Amino acid sequence: MTQTDAFTFDAPEEAEPMSPGQLMRRRALNHTGFLIGSGIIVTLALIAIFAPLIAPHDPFVQSLSSRMLPPVWDPAGSWDHLLGTDQNGRDYLSRLIYGTRVSISIGLGAATVGLLIGVTLGVVAGYFGGWVDHAVSFALTAQLALPGLLLAMALVFIIGPSIWVVIGIIGVLHWTYYLVVTRAATQRLRNLDFVAAATASGATPRQVIWHEILPNLIPQIIVIFTFELGIAILAEASLSFLGVGIQPPTPSWGLMIAEGKQAMFYRPWLVVLPGLSLFTLVIGANLMGDGLRDITAPEGRN
Amino acid sequence: MNYFIKRALAPTILAAALTATPALAQKSDDTLRVALAEEILNLDYNYTTKREYIILAQMTDTTLFDLDPTTQEFKPAVATGYEYADDTTIDVSLRDDVKFHDGSTLSAEDVAYTYNWIIREDSESNAGGTVGRWLDKAEVTGPNTVRFHLKSVYPLVLRDMAQRIMLRKVGSYDAGGTIDRDAMAQHLIGTGPYKVTSFEPGQELVLERFEDFFGEKPAIQKIVVRNIPDVGTQQAEMMSGGIDWMFKVPLDLAESLGATPLATHLSGPDLRIAFIVLDAAGYTDADGPLTNVKVRQAINHALNKAEMAKYLIGGSAEAIHTACHPAQFGCDQSVQDYPYDPEAAKALLAEAGFADGFPLELWAYRDKPVAEAVSADLTAVGIDVNLRYVKLESLNQARAAQDIPAYIGTWGSGGTADTAAIARIHFADDTDRNLSGDAALATEVLAAEQTSDQNERAKIYTNALTTIADQAYWAPLFTYSANYLVSPDLEFPLDPDGLPRLQNSSWK
Amino acid sequence: MLKYILLRSLLALAVAFTVSLAAFFLLNVATDPAQAIAGEDATQEVVDMIRARYGLDQPLPVRYFEWLGGVLRGDFGESYYWHKPVAELVAERAGVTITLALAALSVTILIAIPLGALAALNPNSWIDRMALGVAVSAQAVPNFWLGLIMIILFAVMIPIFPVSGDDTWRHFVLPAFVLGASSVPAIMRLTRTGLIEVMGADYIRTARSKGFRGGALLRRHALRNALLPVISVLAVQLGQKFGGSVITESIFAINGLGRLALESILGADIPTVQMLIFVFAIVFVAMNLLADIINAILDPRIRIG
Repeated sequence: MTQTDAFTFDAPEEAEPMSPGQLMRRRALNHTGFLIGSGIIVTLALIAIFAPLIAPHDPFVQSLSSRMLPPVWDPAGSWDHLLGTDQNGRDYLSRLIYGTRVSISIGLGAATVGLLIGVTLGVVAGYFGGWVDHAVSFALTAQLALPGLLLAMALVFIIGPSIWVVIGIIGVLHWTYYLVVTRAATQRLRNLDFVAAATASGATPRQVIWHEILPNLIPQIIVIFTFELGIAILAEASLSFLGVGIQPPTPSWGLMIAEGKQAMFYRPWLVVLPGLSLFTLVIGANLMGDGLRDITAPEGRN
Repeated sequence: MNYFIKRALAPTILAAALTATPALAQKSDDTLRVALAEEILNLDYNYTTKREYIILAQMTDTTLFDLDPTTQEFKPAVATGYEYADDTTIDVSLRDDVKFHDGSTLSAEDVAYTYNWIIREDSESNAGGTVGRWLDKAEVTGPNTVRFHLKSVYPLVLRDMAQRIMLRKVGSYDAGGTIDRDAMAQHLIGTGPYKVTSFEPGQELVLERFEDFFGEKPAIQKIVVRNIPDVGTQQAEMMSGGIDWMFKVPLDLAESLGATPLATHLSGPDLRIAFIVLDAAGYTDADGPLTNVKVRQAINHALNKAEMAKYLIGGSAEAIHTACHPAQFGCDQSVQDYPYDPEAAKALLAEAGFADGFPLELWAYRDKPVAEAVSADLTAVGIDVNLRYVKLESLNQARAAQDIPAYIGTWGSGGTADTAAIARIHFADDTDRNLSGDAALATEVLAAEQTSDQNERAKIYTNALTTIADQAYWAPLFTYSANYLVSPDLEFPLDPDGLPRLQNSSWK
Repeated sequence: MLKYILLRSLLALAVAFTVSLAAFFLLNVATDPAQAIAGEDATQEVVDMIRARYGLDQPLPVRYFEWLGGVLRGDFGESYYWHKPVAELVAERAGVTITLALAALSVTILIAIPLGALAALNPNSWIDRMALGVAVSAQAVPNFWLGLIMIILFAVMIPIFPVSGDDTWRHFVLPAFVLGASSVPAIMRLTRTGLIEVMGADYIRTARSKGFRGGALLRRHALRNALLPVISVLAVQLGQKFGGSVITESIFAINGLGRLALESILGADIPTVQMLIFVFAIVFVAMNLLADIINAILDPRIRIG
């Protein structure tokens, strides 16, 4: 997890001139944190994609008579169920593997929904300012004050439980970071010469935003997206843990922790393993985000 | 986390847990410490319904009669006896040595006051609905006699007297003419074997033996009831010696912890049953698959309820095929049974024109593994189940709006071993639990409550249960068992009705 | 400044009313408070009676305006469960949550600031990497899971701390750690960056050139300046601790506002939920306001150095 100091990145730049693309690739390959993070994410993404091939059993098939089997390292365990079975006799390892799918797809989906909301509001508020800005900051505060649990409970009830509803809820709860950053950046950009020039040459606000402002925000948005990916994954786990997120029998790590909680003193792996899986996935996303920030904007690190 | 190290350490840790805590302290200071998940906020059972409140009311209050949980016979309690003057008039004679917790003696006026208060419109008592159905008024006829005037014949008068109405002093709720329905909620003056010495709603209740109690005095001097909402936390408290008794313990937990020296696992029968209610009336979809009796029968055949009872509930839990608990009066076991047979289920679905299955929204609020097992069984015969596992309040909200095609319900019958305690609430025409849409059945269920002739009642219930089974309005699942974890020092007798009676416990 | 504070306070109130309106309708659509009060085996009659007793049979808009009228008179109504004024209930529970939030903040400060400072003073050393590792891990750990693991480890396997409750200071150790850990990454990074920046600032260079090489005085001076922006972020974090208390309090069975919030949402205790939304919104906005004020006061001094 090497985090090289910001200033060291400037050295090669002075030594031999490189294109920005080359420079970034070079930085990426030298950034241990980024490499570890992307390694984790790529591995877990592959596990998610190829879950049906990797999982030893169907994660939905139950067998009540062989429920709560111990894992292989227990004297009573067997190689048929490496990590034992859950309370309905489903293979635990297979559920853990399929859980990767749920976590990653909800993370990606929710971070995208958050991105769409946050960036739209941020750019609009930053560009127009005035009452638009006030309205957006009202929405921001209201969002932060609304209990997410309540929103989740109500919406899951009204619309019905599905992965899309959970993605929507988490997305709606996590757009403020995008907003704050893009608003500030837009405010800065709109006063710069090239934006003023575009405006002067008769471009509509829409054109200015699409062609002059948004392209300049992309690196920052990508960095936030990576962080929000981790945050959204944790949010899904928390909601499912409280019973208002992903609904059974879909395997979700948060739900698995809630199910394992009952017997956590006797079968600690039922709580420990899904927790560690979550931890690994989120750490991967965060390391990647940290790395991306260093790589795209080495001077802007904090 | 290294499992081997933990395995090796486990005995040491358990030993440490034993010695680190004030072991046996609870026994030495004669205090039974009880955990309840449900928050205790109101001590007056005349204004509550939940089961936890019955458990407490048995300790703090008495009633006119007691129902013997083993023989299901009514025994005198505050009343010494009763006599029917005619079909709708009952004379009840009372003991003269019943003391309230404040030291005063209970009189016939107190009994009449309590009953008349309950049925008053503005009392808004939770018992008002049930009792108001049959009681016209209670009248003092002598120093120790009260006459009850009934509105109509009602076979379960003694049951309601034994279980629903806790006796209060004259003026308890309307002292000085001002109505205060919460008067007894926190500062309870009852007549039971235990009196309240301190009460912090939602947190802790302390009960002490009431030395002037008229009946047999309990063995344990003090009972502390703590609200611990999370069963995992309760378990941790049990392991570290912080509590002596917990109930509604999930089977796996009970078995795991019961296998250690830290706690004893007790399992007893329970009158609660689980079942699936199917929208035969077509409230959610007038021509939906569930309106077809073959589909409902197929659902019955698809469920491996014996496995669910054995593996998910355990103890004395058994599969049932009736819309009542086999131990209940009138619960005729000779009605149509649909044994587990997925092939028969598929055949019936095909006959009904659903060879490729159909989508089914199945609601549930309790025992998630059961809900998942049911949906897996239904999925196996081709029904595309969308499981909606929600809080009870949400389920009832959706059911009231007739948005529920099928749900897994459970019913405890208030501990009453009589089919009447389950039939009316589920099959009368004024309840949204009734998805059968069968008016004849609703009439029948009501008729059973209009006669005191036991043979006649049994006959009516047999008819009703036969209809329910033939039409497959329900898919009955199983009976529950009651799982407890108690301190190894505690002697806690179990009763067949599944209601825990803490007042009967003692130290070993 | 005064106008700004006033504007922000108005915003807080506007937000609280908007959110409470949303919450009111969401809760009423999704659950049935009467059923929640009556319990699992309640008959229809009992539920109907409770519905009438609490006025739940009135149309939703009527009920909302009745509630709103009460609030405008300073009356937040009575809890369906606890049979007492919600304001009283919240006041009773607030102490525990404030204690927990402050304890959690202390944990954050005690871990994050020394770690951040050490990392900044020894950039790229093993200690810097370790600090970063701690930050990245703390950010990735699911809060509720950390709580469960702490209970397994330090309340049952090695019984040093109580499992649950809020009676003594020992009850607060584990929950404060769990709640405090979530803010460590932000504060640690901020301390580290701030300190590195300050160390590179002109006046430090001047001080160095005048001979204060690596001295304790210098470090103290630099640290003080670097910590100024941290303080305002701490204020925001304190506000977030109140929201974060929901899961932590529930896992450790602490009778504070967080657990009250969870239970009243799940149990449809609408008056309590409504008032808690006000409390949380106001605490949240107040803490942000405090942070803004601190920033406004500190800004010139940072620039002056």
